[in-house]
Amino acid sequence: MKQYFLLMLISGLLISARGPEYGIGDPADDFSLPGVDGKNGSLSDFPDAKGFIVIFTCNTCPYARAYEDRIIALDQKYKSQGYPVIAINPNDPVAQPKDNMDAMKVRAKEKKFPFPYLQDAGQKVYPRYGATRTPHVFVLQKDGDRNIVKYIGAIDNNYEDATQVTERYVEEAVENLLAGRSVVTSRTVAIGCGIKAKR
Amino acid sequence: MRRISLLSFFIFWFGMAGAQEVSIVKYEELQEAIAAEKDKLLVVNFWATWCGPCITELPHFMEVKREYEGDAGFKMILVSLDPVRQLDKVKQMITRKKLDTEHYLLDDNARMNLWIPAFDTSWGGGIPATFIYKNGVKAEFIENGLTKSQLKNLISNHKN
Repeated sequence: MKQYFLLMLISGLLISARGPEYGIGDPADDFSLPGVDGKNGSLSDFPDAKGFIVIFTCNTCPYARAYEDRIIALDQKYKSQGYPVIAINPNDPVAQPKDNMDAMKVRAKEKKFPFPYLQDAGQKVYPRYGATRTPHVFVLQKDGDRNIVKYIGAIDNNYEDATQVTERYVEEAVENLLAGRSVVTSRTVAIGCGIKAKR
Repeated sequence: MRRISLLSFFIFWFGMAGAQEVSIVKYEELQEAIAAEKDKLLVVNFWATWCGPCITELPHFMEVKREYEGDAGFKMILVSLDPVRQLDKVKQMITRKKLDTEHYLLDDNARMNLWIPAFDTSWGGGIPATFIYKNGVKAEFIENGLTKSQLKNLISNHKN
């Protein structure tokens, strides 16, 4: 167990030292991306938020689909407490037509998404965040006019079966932030679908 | 009529022969299986039936594997990351794509956060992912799809 934590620590250091993508403690940029409601969405649309649960997700990945209801539940639980979900579909709609804006609108309506579902048009946002797969979560905490990255990783530890989940990483992170504590598990990894880049 | 039934019998038989065994394992068992190939160049590919780029690259992997037919110093294993309840779907894909090699299904979803960094600290969790082990030691890790020539080059870089 000790070795495992050491390994996680080292891997965290390696990853954060690796490239321009965000690490824990970095300020994240705002964005303005087209949403399924026909308007552009940004973090600044939520002036009263304490932070954000930014989730790169899509219509097509079986992992992302398996998490849809849990993403809705996160928004329902934490929006009122100051941490709304912002979902961003990072896939190139040419490489994956079932992730185009029309298909996103259909899915958002079917599932009655209560959160903004935005398209990373131009695919500029996900590389800056360092998202590599769907779903990939970034929990941000507001600090003045900056949004600081506090958690990067998976939603929980069982994509297959919500009833078998034993570790709720995003919930734990947000609960800690709401209580004024630091996030204990700030990075996790999970298998997911690689983001479809423009060919 | 008889000929048709004979033919369908053969098709059935060959179909069955192509349906490979899939060993359902936990992370430690998979590690043991990899470590057991001490005297070989071992290619380990992680895939899933839902992963389009995986299904695209796997026929190339089979072509490369055939080029090493009879070479006792070479081995390839495929590790499915599908949920175990979809084992039938995995087997169907193996038969349909003629994935004629050793198969594992890593049934360890709740511990991804342990085994993904244990395989490689830089692995972000994307598949396809391919590892090459030389004499039981990791020599390559690629978190991406591979073409036939890319795979052949990787192997020849390490093959004696």
